[in-house]
Amino acid sequence: MKTRLLHLALVAAVAIAFTSCGGNKSSESSEQPAAPAATGAAVDATTAGSVTGTITLDGKAPAAKPINMSAEPYCQKAHSSPVIPPEVVTGEGGALANVVVYVKDDMSKYSFPAPSQSVPLNQQGCMYDPHVVALMAGQTLEVKNDDQTTHNIHPMPKDNREWNKSQPPGASPIDDSFARAEMAIPVKCNVHPWMKSYIFVFKNPYFAVTTKDGKFELSNLPPGTYTIEAWQEKYGVQDQTVTIGPKESKAVSFTFKASGPSGD
Amino acid sequence: MDWHQIWEIVSAPDNVPIVALLFLVPFYVWYALKQGIENDRLIAMLEADAQAAKTKYRKTQPWDPSWDREVHTWPYLMRMELLVAIIVTILLMVWSLTLNAPLEEPSNPNVTMNPAKAPWYFLGLQEMLVYFDPWIAGVVMPTLIIIGLMVVPYIDANPLGNGYYTYQQRRFSIWTFLVGFVGLWVAMIFIGTFIRGPGWMWFSLGNTWDAQAVQYTVNRNLDQVVPFSLLHINGSLVAHLPGVTPTYAPILARIIFGIFPLVAYFILAALLVHWVCMRTEFSRKIYRRMSLVQLVTMYVFLVLMLSLPIKILLRLLLNVKYVWVTPWFSV
Amino acid sequence: MPEIPPSQPASKPDDPITTSSFAFPLLIVSFLLILTVAWSFYDEVFGLRPWRSYQQRFASAYAGYLQKQVAAQKKAEDAVYSSSDYRNLRNTVDRLEKEAAPKDAAIEKQIALLDRQRAAMLDSYQDARGYVGALIYDYEEVPPSDKALRAKRMAAVNDARKNHGYTVDWPVSESQIERRTMYYDDLNSTFTDILGKRAALVAERGDIDKPTKDARTALATYLSEKLPGLNSATMEGLQHTARNWDETLLQINVSPPGASINYLGGAGLVDRCQSCHIGMDPTLVPLGMTLTKADLGMAKSHDAPFTSHPDPELIQDHPLEKFGCSPCHGGNGRALDSITRGHGRYEHWLWPLYYRENFDAGCQQCHAADMVTEQAPVLNQGKQLYRQRGCIGCHRFQGFDSQDEQLINMRQQILQLAKQKADDELEIPRLQKLGDQAPDNDTANKLYAQATNLTVEVSRLDAQSETFEERSHDLLQEIKKVGPDLKEVRQKIHKQWIPYWLANTHTFRPTTKMPQFRLTPDEVQSISAFIWQQSLTGPPLEHQQPGNAAHGKVLLESRGCLACHSVGEGDALVGGTFSANLSRVGEKDNYDYIVRWVHNPRQRTRPYCPYEKRDLGPEDYAKHNLPYVFDLDHSRCPNDGHELVVMQPTVMPNLRLTMDDARDIASYLMTLKHSDASYLSADVSFMDDPKRAADGKELVRHYGCAGCHEISGLEDEGRIGTELTNEGSKPIERLDFARFTEDAKRGILPDGKPSPRGPWYDAKGFFEQKLMNPAIYDTGKYHANPMDALRMPKPNLYESGDVDALVTMLLGSTDPTLPPDYMYKPSDRHRFIQEGWWIVTKYNCIGCHQIDVGQKSVLMTLPFYQAENKVNLPPVLTTEGARVNPEWLRQFLANPSLSTTDTNRNGVRQYLQVRMPTFYLSDDEIRTLVLFFKAMSSQPEQFIPPKVAPLTDTERAMARSLFTSPAAPCLKCHMTGSPKHDKNASAPNFLLARDRLQPAWVGRWITDPAKIIPGTAMPSGLFKMQDGHWVFSGPEPASLQQYHGDQADLLVRYMFTLTPQEQGALVGRTPAGGAGGAKPSGQ
Repeated sequence: MKTRLLHLALVAAVAIAFTSCGGNKSSESSEQPAAPAATGAAVDATTAGSVTGTITLDGKAPAAKPINMSAEPYCQKAHSSPVIPPEVVTGEGGALANVVVYVKDDMSKYSFPAPSQSVPLNQQGCMYDPHVVALMAGQTLEVKNDDQTTHNIHPMPKDNREWNKSQPPGASPIDDSFARAEMAIPVKCNVHPWMKSYIFVFKNPYFAVTTKDGKFELSNLPPGTYTIEAWQEKYGVQDQTVTIGPKESKAVSFTFKASGPSGD
Repeated sequence: MDWHQIWEIVSAPDNVPIVALLFLVPFYVWYALKQGIENDRLIAMLEADAQAAKTKYRKTQPWDPSWDREVHTWPYLMRMELLVAIIVTILLMVWSLTLNAPLEEPSNPNVTMNPAKAPWYFLGLQEMLVYFDPWIAGVVMPTLIIIGLMVVPYIDANPLGNGYYTYQQRRFSIWTFLVGFVGLWVAMIFIGTFIRGPGWMWFSLGNTWDAQAVQYTVNRNLDQVVPFSLLHINGSLVAHLPGVTPTYAPILARIIFGIFPLVAYFILAALLVHWVCMRTEFSRKIYRRMSLVQLVTMYVFLVLMLSLPIKILLRLLLNVKYVWVTPWFSV
Repeated sequence: MPEIPPSQPASKPDDPITTSSFAFPLLIVSFLLILTVAWSFYDEVFGLRPWRSYQQRFASAYAGYLQKQVAAQKKAEDAVYSSSDYRNLRNTVDRLEKEAAPKDAAIEKQIALLDRQRAAMLDSYQDARGYVGALIYDYEEVPPSDKALRAKRMAAVNDARKNHGYTVDWPVSESQIERRTMYYDDLNSTFTDILGKRAALVAERGDIDKPTKDARTALATYLSEKLPGLNSATMEGLQHTARNWDETLLQINVSPPGASINYLGGAGLVDRCQSCHIGMDPTLVPLGMTLTKADLGMAKSHDAPFTSHPDPELIQDHPLEKFGCSPCHGGNGRALDSITRGHGRYEHWLWPLYYRENFDAGCQQCHAADMVTEQAPVLNQGKQLYRQRGCIGCHRFQGFDSQDEQLINMRQQILQLAKQKADDELEIPRLQKLGDQAPDNDTANKLYAQATNLTVEVSRLDAQSETFEERSHDLLQEIKKVGPDLKEVRQKIHKQWIPYWLANTHTFRPTTKMPQFRLTPDEVQSISAFIWQQSLTGPPLEHQQPGNAAHGKVLLESRGCLACHSVGEGDALVGGTFSANLSRVGEKDNYDYIVRWVHNPRQRTRPYCPYEKRDLGPEDYAKHNLPYVFDLDHSRCPNDGHELVVMQPTVMPNLRLTMDDARDIASYLMTLKHSDASYLSADVSFMDDPKRAADGKELVRHYGCAGCHEISGLEDEGRIGTELTNEGSKPIERLDFARFTEDAKRGILPDGKPSPRGPWYDAKGFFEQKLMNPAIYDTGKYHANPMDALRMPKPNLYESGDVDALVTMLLGSTDPTLPPDYMYKPSDRHRFIQEGWWIVTKYNCIGCHQIDVGQKSVLMTLPFYQAENKVNLPPVLTTEGARVNPEWLRQFLANPSLSTTDTNRNGVRQYLQVRMPTFYLSDDEIRTLVLFFKAMSSQPEQFIPPKVAPLTDTERAMARSLFTSPAAPCLKCHMTGSPKHDKNASAPNFLLARDRLQPAWVGRWITDPAKIIPGTAMPSGLFKMQDGHWVFSGPEPASLQQYHGDQADLLVRYMFTLTPQEQGALVGRTPAGGAGGAKPSGQ
């Protein structure tokens, strides 16, 4: 113990001698405060390729039981026939709508400015239209209420800010945006529990939501190998890998089994 | 062999003087004796040659007939002293720079340190406490030591050998010194530093100082060691004395009993000392010059000094605690 | 005989003394001397003062850092300065200044003149005043009798005042000066007069400058809004200080009255930590900014103690100048000569710096009274563990559940009172008799009076003992045991399981609270035998039909059981760790018992009478022909009328399930088992051997099982362990490292590996090893009697950090080294918070509810309550105190179903699957909780029910139309009491509002609920602010067009005056009785 003091005194003396005259380069030379992430280059449109394809449902869409809107007379009036919850919407030839197709890979080495035009989410007849919305981080989501009843829009994200605004009939549209990429943010109207929608937020523009024709296109995609993933509310996700050469356009199509893996 | 333990002891700043002592004392003893013996040889030679002794020859080493009989203090002595002064200064400064004063925790009367050791120059006294009644070891003995040292010049009857090293003239004094200082004082300091561990227990060199160590030693007073019958007779005798109640009889018996060995010791030791002192014609010549008072004083202190190693041996070898036990103090 | 030297020596060798030269040695030693001197100087400046070089390094690095910051800040500032708003403000300031300038100048002139005049006369005035003063003194000294002298002296005074002139060079204007003679009186008057004038002028100038000042403040506020943090000027200032910083010893010197910090004398705290940790110095690094190693470009350096305190909040609550560093962090705040010393990590410093994992220990000393200390997660975890893992069962700890002690004390007092009463009752007749035989009336009356007083006294004693009884009733309710009640083992457990469990506690249930005891097979058998034989045999449980396991699973997951319990093992484990993992319950338990337990965990087979010290049975009740009923309302012993133990000592609440639901859940639990439970077929005949049971009892007592379990015959066993309240300050010599003392000193761990942090011969090392393996300090020990071995079992600290947490708590638990006024003993509302947390954590309210902002409940983390299922979570209680009426809360906590008849429901949120259970809280606990919630939302202790202005008919009409307008969806989600509607309602019934809520809160709530409970289903934006009051943001009903009041307020008042009839009318139906259980059962 005592010797340690002795040694320590000497060692300290030497060490300090170094630090004080040597100007302790050792520690000074260590890293600078991390610079902000370099804003990646824009995608070179001349070489960019694209991925197109269709989504189909193999089998018969399950028969869902219609929504009971009796709690809100107005809504009931709005529809002539009872509304089927739009979980699985198919077009002719089993084309599957409301499927989100996107590039799964990390594209952060490119920079993608958020588009200025906003993405609509309408409330018509106490239903969300479209049922699935996809937009880029920072892009404005414009929520309109065309009904004669008050709705409230309540997205319940995991990684984004949660909000819950009421929108009386004829109120001006609510504009909001999501800062962080997130999959399938459930949106709910607490007043009308059956009203449900999903919002997808991406950091890049390589995503598409299929319509009744089940077609999609991811364009202006720089050459490379990508994992393309497709999400369906009921049947979960599938993915495929695709390699795109310069100015090449590849076709990728997904088929969901009607009795396939249940999303949730 | 627990080297870590030994290193812990040797490297303690407290112990620096003691470690130094272990080397310095023998060295200087040897050096002084060397000088003394050479001087003695020179003296012998000059005595043999009156002629040489008369002419101006230096009477101390180094020696050459052709050299001046005396040299000047300045510069020949002073420069040497200067040199030494500087060296000592350097040593002290380095010492004080490298080793800080061992500062310890704020004292807590409920938890005292173990082992709690006196500063090195008192370790001898502390060790003495093992062998004597605190009153004797802590008060009487130190006083006697001091007085004894003060007495030395007054019982020194030999004018020769002052101012230079000599063995011939001072054989007896030197041996007394060797026994008394080196043999007892230094030795006890050594024991106190290296041998006495937690609980002031005896850990022979290189054993770990284990605070939980358990050792079995029972120390008995002399009256418990000797055959009981002796004391019994003694006691019964005492019991017959007028005005002695049975309760006090044993105590009184012990007191009386203890006196005998003590007295015996003093007589024997005195005789021994006398024999030692009067062995050579030379010393007899010296002591004949002394007055009776001087002689007795010298004997007394020598006897007392002798008592210490004897007590130590009694304790360490025979586990004898006290020789003479009285209700007030014990020896 | 040495040879004679020749008298004429042929050769003449040089005399070494005279001829030898000392030049060289002298040169060497002088050189060495110089070196040593140089060294000593170096040591003086740096060697003993390492902090100097630290400060140099910091100064340069910091200056560099500021340089960058300043540049950035400058840019930002320029941006702001160029903004139009700023320029406008700036211009106004300049304009106003210009306007005010001339007037100011004029006034300045006058003031200047006055000052000069004052200066001119000052000397003469003081002189005169002194002179006259002295004369007056002389006059006053003369005794009144001596008229003549008095008159003479008076004359002198007057003369001095009138005729004693002083020449003054009086400045008439700033240019000319005239010499005038002044006398004391006019000097005096002029002087006061000047002061007066000056004050007036200053005031005037103030008025003139006012607009300018306001403009400036406006500008300043604007800037502080636009540019938060330090402005470039201050930074440059700091940079300048850093640039030419000369090393100096930075010292915090606190001497609070009577302080003897770390017992280092009354000198108080001397902390020099900042001399090296210079980044902590607020004068250099202002509290606002946080400085990291990376900022200084030393991220990699291991020798850069320069960061500012990572948690400025803490510093604000614990100002450096009061607390310094070492009182919280430990270490030797005074030592500066080396890191080891400064951090106090050497043999002789008793309060070494806490290691990182134990930082929170610093909080404990002052926050020992808190169960939950903000910003001390590790410490809190430690305390939680201390309670949950049953440390408290053996080791007393000040402040931890001490109801048992209180109860004993309570009983003794009751007995004393009884005795005193008996004595008095003997005394009364004696006094009366004496009175009868008294010689005269006075004595008689005196004696009679004494007698009557005694009778009164007796009744007082009765009253007192009654209150004690009630208190002990409460205490009996509050006493909880960590482990289950072993009296009913026979009814609950499979016989074979007991010995298996005792031997394989942690293998059977890796997350159990029970520690693993070190028992020989023989001991295991004896203990099991005792446990089995001490258990009750009857009255038998009622036999239960099997239930629907599938439904049981649903209930288990939805009713909130998983807030405390967990199911599944290993990675599949889901749920809370507060209570047992249920994954193998099926192997060991009896179905019938589990049904009873799930239905009402507090139900006992027999009540226990603490006075008779036995469990009562039907026969006892029959004796007094009472029904065999015992519960909180029938809690007195039929034999002696004292309070009984009528409930299981468990914290598990009653979920108020129907018998069927209970059966379903139980059936599900019975399915949770391992198929390969071979031990169940073992031979356990020994468990019926009474001889073994006798040994068993001794062992059970020896191992202190009764600390955590209720066991027949051992109800009054005390705690067997040492008290740990001040364990942290036990002298190291008192901690028995046994055979490891030397190893600990030399940094060798018990497993022979070198200790990562070197020697571990300190409290931390001791606790860590002890907790990791309590047997460690028994290694190599000889025990004549096996019972001499260390008893402490191996606590089940299965999560990493558990050990650290407990060690942290223990390290912090020291005798106060700080003066009492440093201890956290709040007197205001914070006291209630402090007390409340003990209850909240005791019953695990935080398993279901979010109570503190930022705290997450267990349920929130479960898979069943994610994303859109969040709405199924129990209510957030962050503002409960402000939300509800405390009186209502009291009732609710007493009976959360708010009904005596229909109890299988939530009182308020009947739509929620998760169930607010009945905790059978004692009145005391309820009181504490209510105060806690009020304090948490900073409500006053006293509650005065707020007045709600009644509605006029027109207002009511308006409110109604607003309430029912299609645009206002209130009644869509909120319950109305009609079953059809309520089945998809998602909010409470409005009828509850009046008794339950506080109008002010409701007002805040309906205007912006998301502010109060983020993520609530209640939407924001129902109202919008319009010229100073809230207006409905939807299309207003016609009737409201001409209403100019606050519509939110209108709605609130409507809610608070809402009657069942009214509501019925709204939803178009006649109200069913007690719609939605609006009536709280007043119990």
